[in-house]
Amino acid sequence: MVEGKIKMAKDNKIKVKVDDLNLWYGDNHALHGINVDIYENQITALIGPSGCGKSTFLRCLNRMNDLISSVHIDGSIIIDKKNIYDKDVDEVSVRKKIGMVFQQPNPFPKSIYDNVAYAPIKHGIVAKGKECDELVENSLRKSGLWDEVKDKLNQPGTSLSGGQQQRLCIARTIAVKPEVILMDEPTSALDPISTEKIEALMLELKKDYTIITVTHNMQQAARVADYTAFFHLGKLIEYDETETIFVNPSNKKTEDYITGRFG
Amino acid sequence: MLKTYEEKRNNIKDEVLLIGNSVVEALEISLKTLKSDDVSALKEIDLSVKKLSNKSNEIDNLIVTTLALYSPEAKDLREMVSFLKITNELIRAAANVKGFVKIFRKAYSDDLNTSTILEFTIPLHKSALLSLRTSMSMIEETNDNHAEEKYGRVIVEDSKADDLYSMVEKNILKLITKNLELSKEYFDILSSLRRLARTSDRASSIASLALFAQVGGDITQS
Repeated sequence: MVEGKIKMAKDNKIKVKVDDLNLWYGDNHALHGINVDIYENQITALIGPSGCGKSTFLRCLNRMNDLISSVHIDGSIIIDKKNIYDKDVDEVSVRKKIGMVFQQPNPFPKSIYDNVAYAPIKHGIVAKGKECDELVENSLRKSGLWDEVKDKLNQPGTSLSGGQQQRLCIARTIAVKPEVILMDEPTSALDPISTEKIEALMLELKKDYTIITVTHNMQQAARVADYTAFFHLGKLIEYDETETIFVNPSNKKTEDYITGRFG
Repeated sequence: MLKTYEEKRNNIKDEVLLIGNSVVEALEISLKTLKSDDVSALKEIDLSVKKLSNKSNEIDNLIVTTLALYSPEAKDLREMVSFLKITNELIRAAANVKGFVKIFRKAYSDDLNTSTILEFTIPLHKSALLSLRTSMSMIEETNDNHAEEKYGRVIVEDSKADDLYSMVEKNILKLITKNLELSKEYFDILSSLRRLARTSDRASSIASLALFAQVGGDITQS
């Protein structure tokens, strides 16, 4: 398979189309001509050794890298026929459409209820009151947290366990009704039981959302992802169905990484 | 384990049972025809080893993918490894059953001493059927004690099949010495019965693998 020019003809609908994406941190060329189609209602895992560009790539997808002054990007990321890097596109609207869950659970220093309600109210998605209550409940239900917190919605989000906090962050993300959810190593700070809950949640959430996750845990990519992209030194080396990547990868570098021979 | 793993596991188990049950069904029909002394009806048995072999390859590939994606451990791992080997045993059992049906039907005729042949063939056939049916039921067994008890039954039936084969062999050899012109037919009958005894061996091996999956220990295969 040709590096950087990886296309797949699949039945799934393309949600995110990345064309010839390059990124520089100052003079450092960190991403080299990435071409990839990400499919709707599928989980795509980005794997690769540290510094390979997978998190950088993930942050390009909701323009988080715009916050770094030395970053220069070219190429396009098309979501629903619109390049999110076009000048007329507001990055806040991009981040509303493309939510993000981070490595460390980072609830706001507010109540569980407010953690979920804050952004939808701020974005004008719902008004305070019954409508907001329903959104909070639905979001917490979707994140599998409702039964655990329904009787303590006024307690601080930070009072929850690590795994619960991460599910609260997921509830917070889906409350603004995104279409795509980015996850940057969402379980690396969690114990195995909490990890399994998040993985099961990801499998549920993909029915409604397109999920792109960065993970250092290859078994996690294997377990939950429909597609897997392997990055190395800022290049997309191989992108295919997860089954293919983990059973019959076509690139030697991918095979060596998957089998723990480097990285 | 994730729900997706359980789905794959159940799918693999169902497919393994499908192969196993088609071999058991062929044995049931064949036993029925022997009991009714209507050997010509054996030709109705439709057991395509090629089709089963293709199905077995599909299952094996599914198992490889499941091992690669889910890295199962402990009982889950034992079960996957057992399934991988059971598919092979089932194809060998199917080939033996098909061989028995084909060779027995061609060789059997009223010129032979049919009462002696059937006197041993029917119980031998029963043992082969019982051992395979019981070993297949072990795949669905979730209780350790029941699995061990079923394993014991399979071993007994396998042992019975071996003994019955030895007895029929002695008797048929005696018949051959009295009727040399029918020696080919008698040897073919023996060859077909050997295949029935081997079916029981395969059942015994499947039972060992199913017990390994359920209870643990070291993997053993006869």
